[in-house]
Amino acid sequence: MTSPIIDASGIVKDYGAVRALHGVSLQIGTGEFVALVGPSGCGKTTLLKILAGFEDPTGGRLEIQGRDMHGVPAASRPTRMVFQKLALFPHKTVAENIGFSLKLQKVEKAEAERRIRAMLDLMHLKPDYLERYPAQLSGGEQQRVALARALVSQPGVLLLDEPMSALDAKLKKSLQAELKKLHRELGTSFVLVTHDLEEAMMLADRICVMRSGHVVQVGTPTDIYYRPANMFVAGFIGETNFLPVTATASGEGMDVVSPLVAAGKTTIAPEHVSPSLSTNGTALLVRPETIRFVRGDAAPGEWLLDGQVEEHFIKGASTQYRIRIHGLDAAVIMDLPGSIVLPAIVGEAVRIGFDPAQAFLLSE
Amino acid sequence: MRIERKSWNDPVLVATVAPLALVMVAFLLVPLLMTAVLTFQTTQYYRLVWTWDLKIWTEVFSKPHYWTIMIRTVAMALVCVVLTVLIAFPAAYALATRLRTFKTQIQILIIFAFLTDAVLKTFGWILILDKNGVANWLLMHVGLPPEMLNLLFTPAGTMIGMVYNLVAYPMFTIYLSLVRIDRDLILAAYDAGASRVRTFFEVTLPLSRPGLYSGAVLVFVLSLGAFLEPKVLGGGTSPLASELIRQSFETRVNWPLGAALTVVLIAIGALMLVACAAFALRRTSATGRSA
Repeated sequence: MTSPIIDASGIVKDYGAVRALHGVSLQIGTGEFVALVGPSGCGKTTLLKILAGFEDPTGGRLEIQGRDMHGVPAASRPTRMVFQKLALFPHKTVAENIGFSLKLQKVEKAEAERRIRAMLDLMHLKPDYLERYPAQLSGGEQQRVALARALVSQPGVLLLDEPMSALDAKLKKSLQAELKKLHRELGTSFVLVTHDLEEAMMLADRICVMRSGHVVQVGTPTDIYYRPANMFVAGFIGETNFLPVTATASGEGMDVVSPLVAAGKTTIAPEHVSPSLSTNGTALLVRPETIRFVRGDAAPGEWLLDGQVEEHFIKGASTQYRIRIHGLDAAVIMDLPGSIVLPAIVGEAVRIGFDPAQAFLLSE
Repeated sequence: MRIERKSWNDPVLVATVAPLALVMVAFLLVPLLMTAVLTFQTTQYYRLVWTWDLKIWTEVFSKPHYWTIMIRTVAMALVCVVLTVLIAFPAAYALATRLRTFKTQIQILIIFAFLTDAVLKTFGWILILDKNGVANWLLMHVGLPPEMLNLLFTPAGTMIGMVYNLVAYPMFTIYLSLVRIDRDLILAAYDAGASRVRTFFEVTLPLSRPGLYSGAVLVFVLSLGAFLEPKVLGGGTSPLASELIRQSFETRVNWPLGAALTVVLIAIGALMLVACAAFALRRTSATGRSA
């Protein structure tokens, strides 16, 4: 990481008797795209508001561009925010909305106009939108105006508070792509709050997963997906399977056994073990796409489970099966490539298998 | 939202609208027309004479006395609008943004005061404004000369009563506008670098315009017809239009004159409202679409 533009250490925030943030530390590099992810109420929006200066932290230290932000109001911070509901001024035209911060900085009129037009260009908005009011624009266009309004003052950090949650799926995808392109072109640091880990993985350089006021894991999308710190992070993206195992240290790696599997002990390589592994509820993370139906003999080292097909969903490119395994609370989910003839029907007794060496060992 | 234009041929719609339309025609339009018709008649020995001439209108336009009172009425109404809005705005702002804890209690108190009979409230002011009343008593006790205030039976007394009786209207309309303003808009203004004062003038004030305008219109219309306050607190020293009209009908038993003065008052009020509406629409037409 390059020199950090935001350096938050031990940020605590109390709302009355309720502690919303329990000493959160996070560094964001210059030009980096960081996503804050977590379920609602995890403190991600609170953290963003503290960065923006809308909320004062109860404790901890926040530096932006090397300056202590204690007591610095939102108006004098090098951050700009794109709000969840956009918060475009309904009584101002698009040009007035975008140019509002320039007007406050008393930027010369011709220069302001030039920068507003440049923003419009960057956001692919038509010049004749300048005199329109936000209510006269579509949802996607309003989104672009909100981005333009935030970026026109060339902030050091752009804060995005779930700005795409209200859009339909198709528009969301195209705006996500544009946001990523925009970030690449501008080199401004972006901090995105979202509850959608898939969106975070698509866009961010680094992801900070939060849960009830704590940072659970900070890492690249690859880290988060393939090397999740615990079951919470792993379960946050898509559907996954956890197979409870007993783990014992063995040299560099870990030996695991499961009472449900006859194959016995298997060694998991160190890069397949969560760095924050505890003895509390150790389990193997088995991705649905790594499981197969076993008709004949098992492959060497393969773990087998016997069960019954509970349900299947034909998704087109893939078919999802839910297999009820005796001794497991949750049904095992497996994704198979789609086929004309279904490999198994509901109620059929099946044997499934996966390679434990390709699984990932973690704990609660 | 798109408003669909319904047809006259829709029987259900016609049936639903008909009762209200009939009431409006019978009790508003017909009396208005009768008033207008009345202005072209004359009286002789306190009796109405059907003549169809312009005698009354010539009288109305030739006597400056009537116009002094009309102009005074409009001036008092305008001053009343300014004062009520100036008092109501800070109160509504405090209610909407600051006084979260006692908001309900304060609202209940305002509604109580608002719903108390106007006659009672207006007479109550006599106790305060009288030479030997509460106001002077208080001033005396803080060391100011006794009987310093002499407000009872002056236009100022009338104005105090009018403002007091009408201030709740703009307070509620402005309050309703203010609470509808999204808090994020205020934060967005701060975020863009605006100070609190600047944010107020750039965001809060423009967005509270609908409430400001509707409150102002309510106060203006109601104070054009102010009757009680000039009589009780003004003491009849500087009568307003309603008193003039009452006198024409009751004391002078000159119905055509009363009707003509009524038409003049309605015309002045309507003209001013149309002018205000044109002004307000020009400034809010674009933002109105978002609501």
